[in-house]
Amino acid sequence: MAGSRRALLAGLASAWAGTAAEAAAPAPAPQLGPRWGMVVDLARCIGCQACTVSCIMENAVPPDSLRTIVNTYEVTKDGVVGMAMLPRLCNHCADAPCLPVCPVGATFQRADGIVVVDSDRCVGCAYCVQACPYDARFINHETNKADKCTFCAHRVDAGLLPACVESCVGGARIFGDLNDPHSTVRQRLDAEPSAVLKPEAGTQPRVFYLHLDPLLSGKVEGTPTLWRPQHEGA
Amino acid sequence: MSMDRRDALRMGAAGAGLAAFGLGFEATARRVVEGVAETLARPARGAQIHGRSLAPECVVDPATGAVEPNPAQYVANSVCLGCTTLCGVRVRVDRASGRALRVTGNPYSPLSADPPLPETVSIRDSLLATSRHEERGLAGRATACGRGAAVLTQLESPHRITTALKRVGPRGAGRWQSIPLEQLVAEVVEGGDLFGEGHVPGLRALASDDPIDPARPELGPKRNQFVVLSSVNDGRENFVRRFVSQAFGSANFVGHGSYCGGSYRSGSGAAFGNKSTMPHAKPDLPHAEFVIFCGTAPANAGNPFKRQGWQLAAARAEGALDYVVIDPVLGHSDAAAARERGRWIPIRPATDAALALGMMRWMFENGRFDARYLAAPNAAAADAIGEPSFSNATHLVIAEPGHAREGRLLRASDAGLPFEAPAHGPKDPFVVQDAASGELRPHDAGSAPAELFVERRVGGLRVCSALFLLRAAAMEHSLEDYAAICGVPAETIAALAREFTSHGKRAAVSTHGGTMAGNGFTNAFALVTLNTLIGNLGWRGGTFLGGGMFPDNAAGPRYDLQGFEGARQPRGLMLGRNNLAYERSAEFAAKRAAGSPYPAEAPWFPVAPQLGTEFFTAIESGYPYPIGALVLWNSNPVYGIPGFPRLAERVLGDPRKLPLLIGIDPFINESTCWADYLVPDTLLYESWGWTSPWAGVPARATSARWPAVEPPLARSADGEPVAMESLLIGLAKALGLPGFGPRAIRAADGGLHPLERAADWYLRGGANIAFAGTPVPEASAEDLRLSGVERVMPLLHETLKPEEVGRVAFVLTRGGRCQPPESAVQGEKFRHPFRGPLMIHNELAGTTRSAVTGRLFSGVPRWQPAAFQDGTPMRAVYGEREWPLLLVSQKSVLMNAYVIGADRLRGIHPDNPVGVHPEDAAALGLKTGDRVRIRTPGGAETATVIVRRGVMKGVVAIEHGFGHTEFGARGHVIDGVAQPPRPALRAGVNLNALGVLDPTRRLGPGFWLDPVAGSAVRQGLPARLERIAA
Repeated sequence: MAGSRRALLAGLASAWAGTAAEAAAPAPAPQLGPRWGMVVDLARCIGCQACTVSCIMENAVPPDSLRTIVNTYEVTKDGVVGMAMLPRLCNHCADAPCLPVCPVGATFQRADGIVVVDSDRCVGCAYCVQACPYDARFINHETNKADKCTFCAHRVDAGLLPACVESCVGGARIFGDLNDPHSTVRQRLDAEPSAVLKPEAGTQPRVFYLHLDPLLSGKVEGTPTLWRPQHEGA
Repeated sequence: MSMDRRDALRMGAAGAGLAAFGLGFEATARRVVEGVAETLARPARGAQIHGRSLAPECVVDPATGAVEPNPAQYVANSVCLGCTTLCGVRVRVDRASGRALRVTGNPYSPLSADPPLPETVSIRDSLLATSRHEERGLAGRATACGRGAAVLTQLESPHRITTALKRVGPRGAGRWQSIPLEQLVAEVVEGGDLFGEGHVPGLRALASDDPIDPARPELGPKRNQFVVLSSVNDGRENFVRRFVSQAFGSANFVGHGSYCGGSYRSGSGAAFGNKSTMPHAKPDLPHAEFVIFCGTAPANAGNPFKRQGWQLAAARAEGALDYVVIDPVLGHSDAAAARERGRWIPIRPATDAALALGMMRWMFENGRFDARYLAAPNAAAADAIGEPSFSNATHLVIAEPGHAREGRLLRASDAGLPFEAPAHGPKDPFVVQDAASGELRPHDAGSAPAELFVERRVGGLRVCSALFLLRAAAMEHSLEDYAAICGVPAETIAALAREFTSHGKRAAVSTHGGTMAGNGFTNAFALVTLNTLIGNLGWRGGTFLGGGMFPDNAAGPRYDLQGFEGARQPRGLMLGRNNLAYERSAEFAAKRAAGSPYPAEAPWFPVAPQLGTEFFTAIESGYPYPIGALVLWNSNPVYGIPGFPRLAERVLGDPRKLPLLIGIDPFINESTCWADYLVPDTLLYESWGWTSPWAGVPARATSARWPAVEPPLARSADGEPVAMESLLIGLAKALGLPGFGPRAIRAADGGLHPLERAADWYLRGGANIAFAGTPVPEASAEDLRLSGVERVMPLLHETLKPEEVGRVAFVLTRGGRCQPPESAVQGEKFRHPFRGPLMIHNELAGTTRSAVTGRLFSGVPRWQPAAFQDGTPMRAVYGEREWPLLLVSQKSVLMNAYVIGADRLRGIHPDNPVGVHPEDAAALGLKTGDRVRIRTPGGAETATVIVRRGVMKGVVAIEHGFGHTEFGARGHVIDGVAQPPRPALRAGVNLNALGVLDPTRRLGPGFWLDPVAGSAVRQGLPARLERIAA
């Protein structure tokens, strides 16, 4: 029976083969305290944007800006048309290119790996916005400061989960301590192949994807189906 | 195919300030120096890093699990109304301002968490359950979807109406004056020259037992001319029904089903043999091995949306599930990351039944159906073989063409078998042919199997078993013909049938509103019948019925909310012409006397539930009788019924056709903008109510709505918010109706209690819930404080008996009550059996004649193309040469009919470009971003194109929820003050503005309805595209 099922699905279209350039997940370093990271299981993402809106509401993200979103693409591979979801956010890179370009030292990385912006220091020059290979930063047009995902540091520090994680309907977003060998993120990374976006940038992202097709790890060849944001007419 | 950023900017679709995540990964100008190691990170002390993020609701020590709630907030468990799933949500409220800050899932709700927290867990510990402590929040996620997280902004919308309004000037002019509720009640009840346009009869004139038409007594009393159209049961519908049906006595109260998913409900109702409750089963995704979604897409919409979404995600990632989504449009149910587990199969619109019947043909030809299951003719026979349900596959049907009883199930009295009188009465059993002896016997005798395929003569009549008739129907077309009709290759249909029948009971078909075509009933009936053929109902991995609710509106353990002294039983013909056979009407008799009883002046729908669409036939034509007053309660038929947007002014704008139109809604929508009076309403977490899962939750569950935040509404003279409840209570008092007032609700101890404000009703319903079975415990003081329920405790103390207060409060703190999930299953079966029979042949359908053609409908699923009421196929009128394309409506993940005003949703998804297949686009020289004119026989609209391979060739896909003209898209003038219009709310196109009318209908607006189910046709509308020069 299983054979016939496979045959059916294969008969409808050949299976996607291959994985994205696999990233070597960093080894745990428990002596350093927590190192926060995220694992996104793409097979569990249904593209509902619960994460996107939860982030907006939790963090008062201004209109037309986003700290995270699920890009949805229609992609064709081996003649098969399919839908691909790609949740995106700041990668909280180990070697974050946004850090050294900040002329005033406003952008920094906490000991737990979360990359943040000190809004008291930020002058809104947008160098960091330009430096991020993931388009993960923006200038908040209400505060005129650089803005980005903080992994909801205010919730994490309170012993809670980032808004996008606690509200992930499919259970795709998994958050935890990469330094803790018992954490779910650590165990998933140890057990399964994972990948990061734009590995060639050498940024050592700490957001890892499971089941990431190479089609999605760089510039995506596909039709974005979520109509892009625009300014409201009134 | 991909667009570059320049294209997007040229189209004006990308915001100037938007860099983040715009269009893939643009190369950035700078490369940076390396060498900043994590260990060199600076301390965060003193830095302002959190921007304007909200203060957390609590602090949890990850090590010890100690919870320190934020004293400035409370977390109220209530219900979302972002869609019809009605998930339990946890609303975070700022105590000082009373504002709802953010919404997540209620961890006690099976619609938001899996498994839900047991009710014994305290509110404090429910905070722990969603925290990082032991990573409990990962396993115990309680979620709100994107729309659910965004809708709270509607609470503070500047376009909410907050007072009762009376129109100034003609209907639809958009000018209003605010009036006290008491004035509104007086004017509506007594009537008069209310608008300087002549006399308007009030409700008092309609509250009469006089017949509408003495010559046509079947129409019933004038009370039926008071008519209410609702939307979905938001937990308050029973209150409205009490007023409309039991107190006023009108037969005309209905929801939006006939223009939502009515074809599915009717088709499933036919398969389950119950027109009144229209049962519908859902696939057990966690245990299924193969599921066919056809006419529904589990990650796009459906009900329960989130629950089936996470079940799909988990089952394809970690479970045994393989699935296909058969749909003209590729949606979110497909995921490249789970490519080997699921597939999209494109299908031509309005042909689902061809696919299903093609599968059936293959199954019959290859003996791939559950013969053992189908041979059980009664419950005892099913029990004997361990089956939780049975069907009427073996029951014999009179198949003598032209016979008066053609389509009837043969009864024992017909076959000379013993029966209990009267003949053809409820105790006159059906007849089967015994499998062993070949003798006829009553269907309910013994537990032996019966013959599956029978064709014989009994008493001179041709009779056939139901399964014989179904097989004959399936064999009417070849597999290749079915393939040619639906556009799915024959080998794929065969492969689907093989796969579907390769997993025993662990396979299922799921469908819903995608069936809403001009043959919608057949589509749904055929798809659901596939489940019957493998007998998967009640089996793990198969399909199951919902577990029901703890009822509030019942003769419950504490109060009788159902019966009251003087309660009326509505009688007479419903406007949907669905509760009486046309052949029993005065019209039929008169026409027969005049020569030919067919066609009726308009179609009748005895197989369908009450039809809201036909209210407008009555307004426009007076058929079957005129409406005196129409109330639109949170409903928007103009936006939702295909073809209505262009006819709204004609139908609703003329007070001579409709003397009184009252809207009850938090917003002014495309329908209520025509009202004479508007009454505001509570919204979301401001309301009381008791809801239950629509389907898909096997355990019994009830969700609680209670005023977690204060509604910003004007107050009545007695201090209640001006809203639906205070309006109806005011009307009931003014009219002197029973069931309301100081002595309206009887307690179980016989005492009488008032129904004079909303809390009187909902809290006593809560007592019935709290005391059902084993009563719940009492809420703790801390539960009350942390959940915010303390703010309504004074009302509980004023309203309830002392022993009820703490227990009702307990239910409110948890946002409802539900049975543990494990209570719903026993081994391989679900505990809520359906004692059937499931209908292979539905006698009601099979004996109902079209009132237009006089021809019998089919009692078994049988292929028929989308057609108009007189049976003419749509394509015979609107041919492919002129109308080469077919429009379909697609559900949106984010938008729906009433949330266009939620700015944060529009910020992510501001428009609904219409999907066009690359070949169709190429033929017209279209590329993504081009503007087109979509033309149908019903009208023309302009739209933006998105070229997608994920749209079947020949199809144009329109996402529902855009193309609004109200909700703020137009600024109304209230008390001389103009609201600012927001043009952004007009973005996109509404498929229903392109709806096609039925050219064969003679009366009324002529909406195109499925001839059997009466459901409004939105799938498969003939169309063409015209490019608009840039």
